[in-house]
Amino acid sequence: MRRAMTPTAFVLLVAVAALAAAAEIPDRPEKLVYPDLSFEVPDAAALRFELADGTPVYAMRDSQFPLVTITVSFRGGRYLEPAGREGLAAITGDAWRSGGAGERSAQQLDEELDFLAANLSTSIGEVTGSASLNVLSKDLEAAMAIFMDLLTAPRFQQDRFDKTKDNMLQAMRQRNDDAEDIEDREWQRLIYGDGYWMNRLATQASVDAITASDSKAFVASLVRSGNLVVSVAGDFDPAAMKALLDRTIGTLPRIEAQLPPVPQPEHRPAAGVYVVDKKDVNQGRVSIGRLGFREGDPQEFPLRVGADILGGGGFTARMMKRIRSDEGLTYGAYANLDFPVSMPGTFRATFQSKSSTCAYATEIFFGLLGDMRAAPPTDEELRTSKASFIETFPRRFASAGQVAGLYASDELLGRDHGYWTAYRDRIAAVSDEQVRDAMAAALDPSTMIVLVVGNIEEILQGHPEHAARLGDFGEITRLPLRDPMTLEPIAQ
Amino acid sequence: MSLRRHRVIAGLAMAALLGALPVAAQEAKVPVQEFILDNGMKLVMVERHESPTVSAGWVTHVGSVNEEAGATGIAHLFEHMIFKGSRTIGTSDYAKESEIMARLDAIRLEMEAEYEVMREMKRRGEIAGSIYLIENQTPRLAELRARMKALEEEQKQLIVKDEFDQIYTEAGASGLNAGTSNDFTVYFITVPANKLELWFWMESERLLNAVFREFYSERDVVREERRMRVESDPTAKFDEQFDFMFWGSLPYHHPVVGWPSDVESITLAQARSFFATYYAPNNITAALVGDFDTEQALALAKKYFGRIPRGAVPPPPVVTEEIEQLAERRMAAEAETNPSVQVRWHAVPFAHKDAAALDVLDSILNGRTGRLYKSLVEEKQLATGEPSSSFSAMKYGGYLEVGAELAEGADHRQVEEALLAEIERLQKEPVGERELQKVKNQSLADSYRRLQSNFFLLLQLMLYDVWDDWRYLNDSPARIQAVTPEDLQRVATTYLTPTGRNVLWYSRKAGTDEDPELGALSAQGKAMAKQALAQINQLSDPAELEQGIAQLQAMAGQAPPEYKPAIELVIKRANERLAELQAAAGKEQ
Repeated sequence: MRRAMTPTAFVLLVAVAALAAAAEIPDRPEKLVYPDLSFEVPDAAALRFELADGTPVYAMRDSQFPLVTITVSFRGGRYLEPAGREGLAAITGDAWRSGGAGERSAQQLDEELDFLAANLSTSIGEVTGSASLNVLSKDLEAAMAIFMDLLTAPRFQQDRFDKTKDNMLQAMRQRNDDAEDIEDREWQRLIYGDGYWMNRLATQASVDAITASDSKAFVASLVRSGNLVVSVAGDFDPAAMKALLDRTIGTLPRIEAQLPPVPQPEHRPAAGVYVVDKKDVNQGRVSIGRLGFREGDPQEFPLRVGADILGGGGFTARMMKRIRSDEGLTYGAYANLDFPVSMPGTFRATFQSKSSTCAYATEIFFGLLGDMRAAPPTDEELRTSKASFIETFPRRFASAGQVAGLYASDELLGRDHGYWTAYRDRIAAVSDEQVRDAMAAALDPSTMIVLVVGNIEEILQGHPEHAARLGDFGEITRLPLRDPMTLEPIAQ
Repeated sequence: MSLRRHRVIAGLAMAALLGALPVAAQEAKVPVQEFILDNGMKLVMVERHESPTVSAGWVTHVGSVNEEAGATGIAHLFEHMIFKGSRTIGTSDYAKESEIMARLDAIRLEMEAEYEVMREMKRRGEIAGSIYLIENQTPRLAELRARMKALEEEQKQLIVKDEFDQIYTEAGASGLNAGTSNDFTVYFITVPANKLELWFWMESERLLNAVFREFYSERDVVREERRMRVESDPTAKFDEQFDFMFWGSLPYHHPVVGWPSDVESITLAQARSFFATYYAPNNITAALVGDFDTEQALALAKKYFGRIPRGAVPPPPVVTEEIEQLAERRMAAEAETNPSVQVRWHAVPFAHKDAAALDVLDSILNGRTGRLYKSLVEEKQLATGEPSSSFSAMKYGGYLEVGAELAEGADHRQVEEALLAEIERLQKEPVGERELQKVKNQSLADSYRRLQSNFFLLLQLMLYDVWDDWRYLNDSPARIQAVTPEDLQRVATTYLTPTGRNVLWYSRKAGTDEDPELGALSAQGKAMAKQALAQINQLSDPAELEQGIAQLQAMAGQAPPEYKPAIELVIKRANERLAELQAAAGKEQ
């Protein structure tokens, strides 16, 4: 099939081509004229309905492909792990799917789902968890029976449970292998403090202590009516789907008491330079930043734009231009300011450079940060950043699965759907001076933590052609490497 | 970005075209429209109107396989250069800039001559390490470098930094990126549906009027990329050498990012000739998937891409064939990683008629209901995680690799034997009907799943066209359904031979997560000693520590023999810690 066109289409095509050829190609892309494009945020209320027991469902049809996805999301996650049971959420999330359910052993359940070509996954994260089924729509009924067994009668079969724990231990053994993992772990510690739930990580002892009944009880406490939001997307009949959900997910037992809220961090991070020695790499990994903000902060939108101009927007951002393009000091340089719903996020700038130029690149970064706080961004920067936020916004709603999933997560986390309808206007309203003021107020360099992981002796020496040294950015504290299994400091 | 070379089994049906609810077993086709422009450029398009965006890209049929000795990494270097703009984009005064660039080239030629002097010095042993290190530069080179730097500074004043990205970003495009592989270099982006003409303008501009500005400084970025991806990664540097060992004559043996010495020495003249040959429209496939009108898009393609002249000479074919491997090869690496075993055999290129059977064979081995998991993890308990098989097929060759991570207490030999036992079973016994049907069911469902994302469909169209033909997307499901148990037995016997094996053992490098004395202990002893040492490090009261040592000494007498060395080590360390604490206390007093 070289050309599959009707004669009429071909005539039309010739006409269009003739028109196009007649038009000159402009010498600059700014001279191109585009047709209008409007995008309306899908109406969340129109997609929402409730099951008989009150469980909210967001369902969006798309019959392009004969597939359907049902996701049950619930509140609760790692922050609920009891002391001494660190790792329970991750282990439960994994062993849940692999451990069998109802009448089926783990092996039977795997075989049946694989034969149906169904993807069924479970996971429990920081503050929420989910179980999700994706299957050919013709096989929905058969797969749904297994899915319900998994929600109501998971077995956590012992041999599979032990395997999950072994895999977890095996992954923990790798904790110091990659400098990036050390960097992420120490960063979290420095920002949120040792005692915060996020930093209570699994150890050999805590994994050893976790039993299949712990996991069973954990799932049973969370997968309950009153604690769930369901999303459905793909090829289904709405009335039949509602009936199916009422008969299945709508019959789960009621939650007894609402879960405790996610604790907020009380730790006040201490500014300074922190280094972790990792001898056999020739590149240092640098993270610079501080504790950030929750979604809904009054400065959220000016800060989003500011961080994007500083280091968010790929090659158009100042960090990439200076540290990568001008100086060739790094492959990637980014600044990220996230705004989680449940706790404050972080401001974190990252790059990686050969040992001798880590300090020099850090100096350039602080120069860039100083500029952001001292003066408003240029008109072009502001225009580019805002246009990028606004024009790429529809991509969050590109598929039925994305729309249903986004609205379900809003309801689960307690975010108003209005956040999305107002989003583009709020970006559009950001002014250059608001960006400067917000960055100046939020990102004082004297509050910053600088974390460097790499060959510290080489990194401290700096570069013969540049004066910058790591000590210029604060007092240097050496952090010990931690034993991967106990997370206790290793004497060095 | 680096795209992995994994083969993807491609898609089946486009339900929308059928107008009714499709039935899974029914074979429909993705309605792809193909056009060839007069200059030889191929254009493939799929209209989909669900979201107001278009995923757009083009792939040039050149990768590291086309590189000559001494210029490895040039294909990947281009992936970076193509973002540097054109005569219009990225500059405030192109005429002035090109003058400076000519002077830069002249200096670089003088530097090349000096580098050759330095290479000679290195061969004589007068220079240690890379000739590109600052500490190794000769006075003459230092002078030339300074002149070059000054000129680059001058050019910088004329450069409009990353304007190419800026224009796209402001237009609301996203995901602008590129990737280089052994066989291809691909460029892609997603644009708002109303701005498709911008894509045609920008992409035809950078092909027609490319300017390789910052050519010499960009390789510093590439060096950092290599440091990040390869040299500072616990296993990537060994994987690179395993690849090098695996491939014989076929130019898949060198890394896509190039040998460091080559990347530093590529000249602008080499780059220009490479571009003229491989970035000609007759070597390019462009693709669009999303919300556009095919006829309008074709008109734009003719208008914009049509103005690029066909290349003067067609790209030379890759003529070197892989030499037959005559004996098993082995590599044992100590790295900061969990111990594992991998076994790899030469298989077939992507377009080969046996590729479908190897895809199925791969799936028979993979996953939790696959044979490797059942045998190595569940029955023999020799491996952790999910042992895996992967069939990687490229344009000129392919391989099948199986691998597993060792369970505590298992040794490499046992795991290798267990992996090979599963291969032998495939050779000796036909695969059962239900087992085969399971894989076929999954292939069918996955072929729908793989069509769901516009961007992923775009990528498949482009890469299949490099490896074989984009029609593979519509043809491959039927090929998978046609695979028989006899086919599986035949390909297992033909390709997975004892003399064709390439074996890689990873062992955890002693003393990486621990000191060497700990590494010397038995597994049980090590676990015990680690916990004890961690506790000791926490103690700051000398009296408490002394008490602990006494208890340990009492234990040492009764402990089973395999724990003895561990206890002795802990006692030794506790005494050292005690001495430290006492010394510190002495200082304070």
